[in-house]
Amino acid sequence: MAMAMEACFAHLVERWTDQVVVTSAGNASEMWWKLTGETERVFYLEASMSLASLFAAGIAYGIPRANVWAFSGDGAFLMNPGMLTVERRLGLPNLTHFLVDNGVYGATFEVGMSDAGETDYAALARACGLRNVFRFGTLADLRDGMDEVERVNGEAFAVLEVEPLGGALPDPPMDGPECKFRFGRYLERTYGVRIFDARV
Amino acid sequence: MAGPDREIAAAIAERVAGAGIELVASLPDGWIAALIEEFEADARFDHIPVNREESAVGLCSGAFFGGRGSLALMGASGLMTCIYAITKINYTYMVPMTIFITMRGRLGDRAKFHVSNGLYLEPVMQSIDLPYTVIDRRDGLDEIGRAVAHSRTISRPVVVGFTRDLLYGESG
Repeated sequence: MAMAMEACFAHLVERWTDQVVVTSAGNASEMWWKLTGETERVFYLEASMSLASLFAAGIAYGIPRANVWAFSGDGAFLMNPGMLTVERRLGLPNLTHFLVDNGVYGATFEVGMSDAGETDYAALARACGLRNVFRFGTLADLRDGMDEVERVNGEAFAVLEVEPLGGALPDPPMDGPECKFRFGRYLERTYGVRIFDARV
Repeated sequence: MAGPDREIAAAIAERVAGAGIELVASLPDGWIAALIEEFEADARFDHIPVNREESAVGLCSGAFFGGRGSLALMGASGLMTCIYAITKINYTYMVPMTIFITMRGRLGDRAKFHVSNGLYLEPVMQSIDLPYTVIDRRDGLDEIGRAVAHSRTISRPVVVGFTRDLLYGESG
């Protein structure tokens, strides 16, 4: 069972309120950009090869009152599944990690992955000790389950089983520094943190 | 054989705290074992052991946007595995970060398997224009604060490398 990726993300966008979002390379960034056009509350972390969720964890650690959503692609995730042990260790109550499971490398013409799409990521997360693990294979499941994801909102890990997109979408049209300053200024303005003029 | 010097580790931690660092993400190298224990025990720091060095790059880069000073602590070999993460995240997005490493492969290193680091560590850092400073004496520890500040100035990572002689308390 798998959802259409656009329908899945559209539902998350509908539920998107004040969360800060970090997207990973390829389809997740492209789809979030297509559906929202957002340039401030989203950090489009392109091509980090597995580091989107830990980047998001750093934000969640620094700003405990910010709720942070992180999106990983399954291709990136498989490069560094041990990230889950760090997320467990951090135990951040304000971080939700969505794993976009489409079984292909969406950023590279949907070339197949080493596991042929057979990995049970939810089981992997549980084995790493994460307590709040979810797996959504249909839009109905996602609609029913997101209340619980948001309620626990603590080291939450949710697998989104989606179909391959079937093609690439336009990338967010921002270079790195523009993304950095738009996102950082938003955090400074919204949460009162000092980022760019900090003494550190 | 005596291990890494705890007094030196404490002196390094003191400089790190003075530079405004709160989060330390680490993966061990034998030379920094005492330093890791120091960060773990010191209430001024949140010490997070990570699964691989790239994870420290991701976590510390995010912590910058959380307004928190952070440090990625690793061995020389760990830094060698982080080149992609550093160039992709920290260079592309201009995110500052402080990285501590061991200067493996230099005179005094008795581990044969670190010969490659002796040959290539510094040339690799130079090849990507990654600023670094090497501290080999206790009276050089003030470089730590300067390195942290320099990273913020240039909006890029700065590396501080420690020699075995320093970390084992065998330097001046």
